[in-house]
Amino acid sequence: MKEIVFDQVCKSYDQNQVVKKLNMKIKAGERLILLGPSGCGKSTTLRMLAGLEDITSGDLYMGGRRVNDVESGDRNVSMVFQNYALYPHMSVRDNISYALKVNRFPANEIAERTSEAIKMLDLVGLEERKPKELSGGQRQRVALARAIVKRSDYFLLDEPLSNLDAQLRAHARKELVKIHEKYHQTMIYVTHDQTEAMTVGQKIALMDKGVLQAFDTPKKIYNKPANVFTARFIGSPPMNVVEAAYEDGKIFIDGKKMKVPDAWCKVIKKQNKIYFGIRPEDICLSRKGNDKDYSVKAVVRYVEDYGDKYGVYFQINGVEMLALSDGDVPTPGETVHFEPNFDKVHFFDGETQKNLGYPKEK
Amino acid sequence: MRINMKQMGIHILLGLIALVLLFPILFAFVNSFKTFEEATNHIWRIIPIKPTLENYKYVFSALPFVKITWNTFIIAAIVTIFKSVTSILAAYAFVFFDFKGKRGVYFLLISTMFIPFTVTMIPNYITISQLGLNDNIMGVALPQFADALGIFLLRQSMRTIPRSLVEVAKIEKIGHARVMKDIIVPIIKPSVVSTGIIFFINSWNEYVWPVLILKSKDNYTLSLALQMFISAEGGTDFTVAMAVSVITMMVPLLMYIIFQRYIINTFALSGVK
Ligand SMILES: Nc1ncnc2c1ncn2[C@@H]1O[C@H](COP(=O)(O)OP(=O)(O)OP(=O)(O)O)[C@@H](O)[C@H]1O
Ligand SMILES: [Mg+2]
Repeated sequence: MKEIVFDQVCKSYDQNQVVKKLNMKIKAGERLILLGPSGCGKSTTLRMLAGLEDITSGDLYMGGRRVNDVESGDRNVSMVFQNYALYPHMSVRDNISYALKVNRFPANEIAERTSEAIKMLDLVGLEERKPKELSGGQRQRVALARAIVKRSDYFLLDEPLSNLDAQLRAHARKELVKIHEKYHQTMIYVTHDQTEAMTVGQKIALMDKGVLQAFDTPKKIYNKPANVFTARFIGSPPMNVVEAAYEDGKIFIDGKKMKVPDAWCKVIKKQNKIYFGIRPEDICLSRKGNDKDYSVKAVVRYVEDYGDKYGVYFQINGVEMLALSDGDVPTPGETVHFEPNFDKVHFFDGETQKNLGYPKEK
Repeated sequence: MRINMKQMGIHILLGLIALVLLFPILFAFVNSFKTFEEATNHIWRIIPIKPTLENYKYVFSALPFVKITWNTFIIAAIVTIFKSVTSILAAYAFVFFDFKGKRGVYFLLISTMFIPFTVTMIPNYITISQLGLNDNIMGVALPQFADALGIFLLRQSMRTIPRSLVEVAKIEKIGHARVMKDIIVPIIKPSVVSTGIIFFINSWNEYVWPVLILKSKDNYTLSLALQMFISAEGGTDFTVAMAVSVITMMVPLLMYIIFQRYIINTFALSGVK
């Protein structure tokens, strides 16, 4: 029904390719997050959906219809911009109802929808104010209200919360989810904030330099990242991903040997060069060493105090990593045993950087 | 203390400049109420000894001045309306549309500002004659329906409007005409008003072009009438000329007073000053 399909979609500005062969299928009513570093092509992708940018090649389908040449106004989308794009000379109420009036909705319908949106977004009492008389959070809510009165099938948001402070943002995130659960539009939400991505998204599409890197549920993306980029991008502090060599059931991190459980050897097979990944919270640094074979010696460099936790930067020969620890913290200069939780490690192909997979029972 | 001295200096200087600029206006106004004799003997007197309306009476009997003022006003009003519309349309396209060769077309257009009037005078004259608009006030107005200055000024102010405002409207299926009428023009209203006043006053002051086009006194504009009283044939009575001057500047002065707020804002904002 109201699904969206990207089929080999490319976008170039002159010679500069900013979206490369994008293939993606977004289910009707789904909340999709477009995530990625600055300049990776998120806004461009969203704007192609809105009909504000031409598609250079490939096909875009919305609700089963090819929309490459369909005008913006005929796509039944609504959009919230990062700068909110409120009409500065109109009151809150007029901002919300203007498009309905121009499109000749019946007066009672306009009044009904407008007042519903005003109530829902907690704008009661502000109806007659101009945008410049509102706080950032209020403006953002007006922009949302304006986008929902249309009752469109597709709801596009380009970093709608990035101008808000942390507290308001957390509140606004919940509001957004609430709106989506009420109207069930297909929602595409651009952000470069991964907390937002994890909490709002039912699916995440992670992009880098115009290429789709991962497309999955937040849980899957976090627990089984598809490649090195995804592994490093998702999670805070980021996952340690280091180059390593594999040989006969052992990996070598900068020359230092560590045994790997048998189940993993079946996954890694005959790879030579690999990437080894482990999240800081899945590392144990022990003074004694519980099992000398499945660990490796490391030297602590420095320690950061996060309040409830400590971040311990350490080196295995020349390779630096970060571990999180809450109790017994080693001191800088100390030699410790690096013991990864082998239920939580990741291995990636040394050439393609793709995930090599996981042992069967996981 | 220092700063106060400096500010005072600046204010004195500004006061002097204002005086210099205001002097001719005051001079014309005062002398238009003097008899010719008094004016020749007491030219610098600020308050006339025997104020008289004779000059004005004479002016109105010599030429159909109500008609002439009306002509001038109609031309200026039509020009202002049309030029505002064409300038808004063109500026909107230059700011919010993307098309091939946009920069080139724009710079070509702007460069027309630097073509001297004498170059276009003859071709325009022939065109207007061919259209049968000789000795017709529409013939005066027509060539002024569009020019680069208005497009330039309005483009400058439209550029301050975020593109996303127009994009939201596009997504909501609101046509360009509505976007201009409901969104763009209201936002840049001060600029629209002040460019309108510039158009109006420019047209009001136009001299060479009306001279070419208008033949009969019934079709005259104020600047042509004024010329008649200054020129040798019209008479050497300069108090009469002063009266015509006062009539001529009445309307622009009134407009300036009414729209002062917008004019100052626009020039302060655009940095043209
Ligand atoms: N109109 C344009 N002309 C030329 N290049 C453009 C244009 N718009 C965007 N780009 C380029 O396309 C690339 C992707 O831009 P885009 O705005 O989609 O990034 P983004 O992922 O939204 O980044 P951010 O998180 O900073 O908003 C950037 O390298 C940008 O410089
Ligand atoms: Mg962006």
